[in-house]
Amino acid sequence: MNNHHTIRLTAALLIAAALPLCAIAQSNAAAKQVPRAADGKPDLSGVWIATGALRLMAGEAELAAARQFDIAAGRAPAPPAEPPPYTPEADKRRQYYLDRRGIDDPMARCLISGVPRISFRPLPFQIVQMPGQMIFLYETHHAFRIIPTDGRAHPDDIEPSYLGDSVARWDGDTLVVDVTGFNDKTWLIGVGTVHSEKLRVTERYDRDTYSTIRYQVTMEDPEVFTKPWRTEETFRLRPGERIREYECIENNEDLLRIERLLQNESVFKRP
Amino acid sequence: MTVIRALACGLLLSTVSLAAHHSFAAQYDADKPITISGTVVRVEWTNPHMHFYLDVKDERGTVTQWAFEGYPPNMLVRQGWKREVTLKPGTAVTVAGWRARIEPNLVAAREVTFPDGRKLTAGPPAGTGGQ
Repeated sequence: MNNHHTIRLTAALLIAAALPLCAIAQSNAAAKQVPRAADGKPDLSGVWIATGALRLMAGEAELAAARQFDIAAGRAPAPPAEPPPYTPEADKRRQYYLDRRGIDDPMARCLISGVPRISFRPLPFQIVQMPGQMIFLYETHHAFRIIPTDGRAHPDDIEPSYLGDSVARWDGDTLVVDVTGFNDKTWLIGVGTVHSEKLRVTERYDRDTYSTIRYQVTMEDPEVFTKPWRTEETFRLRPGERIREYECIENNEDLLRIERLLQNESVFKRP
Repeated sequence: MTVIRALACGLLLSTVSLAAHHSFAAQYDADKPITISGTVVRVEWTNPHMHFYLDVKDERGTVTQWAFEGYPPNMLVRQGWKREVTLKPGTAVTVAGWRARIEPNLVAAREVTFPDGRKLTAGPPAGTGGQ
């Protein structure tokens, strides 16, 4: 057991001791063991949803259940989000999109969201863990990532893309994914969170309980950030859930509506 | 102790700001909530949004058709909707939501109330278009 886990366990015990009433209901679920793959690493396989998307996808009751689970398991809540550490110029670009109330969102045109935004959508994703590779299947946009875990490096012929190119390694029990080769056509998380093709994303997936993955993501981009931008989220296991089809462009009436709005910007822009 | 528990029970911070498929705030006005009743004319059970249409009668008896946008089918199914079962043409419903900025008879639907009083979530809460 490394220091990281010792600290977490200590915190868990302290919180569990302090919060007996919260802890009782979910104690069995929290005690369930994290499954392991044949190589001894945690098995991340399953269908997952970001905590921030639970309210939209499943309603308030499920969010409350997630709160109770965290307390029972002694999980610390994710820290509050930092604002993106943009350079003044990049911050102006973000403000431009905020003032336009997000009308320029690439997602509204059914373009694939990048990393990490795609993981925060209110549609689930599935992780399939296999020897030497992980497959991520996102209901959003029908997107997928095939992530080698056999030690290979990024290919040398990457074309810039929405989801970039991913390779991963294990750091103890944490899967660390290195993502590069992005285009500059996506937003990182929220409205106007621009980036350049120099973006590099490091994702850390730590299945800290049977039902949760602690997800820590670091975004580095020397063209827009003054320092790395970090954020954290918890992915929740969705037993019995399956990935369904989602063909975004099928009946995207928003395209026509957006065109009409753009003819008179004063209708939607912030004063 | 009570304070600590209250804090700990209430804290489950998400760092993620969510939008629907498109920016709500560009197309819809969160300052224009509306609740409107009518009869279902047709339903488009499609991505990236469900649309449905109501015939709405005003005080003078004039009927106007209103359009409503909601979640995609995958989200509706997960919240208890069934295609061609939950929302049928001819049914009288009441819809709460927010009006569009330019289309006079377009609404972002939040909740549908059915004749038996049952309520179902139909779409996301009002958004701001970011900070």
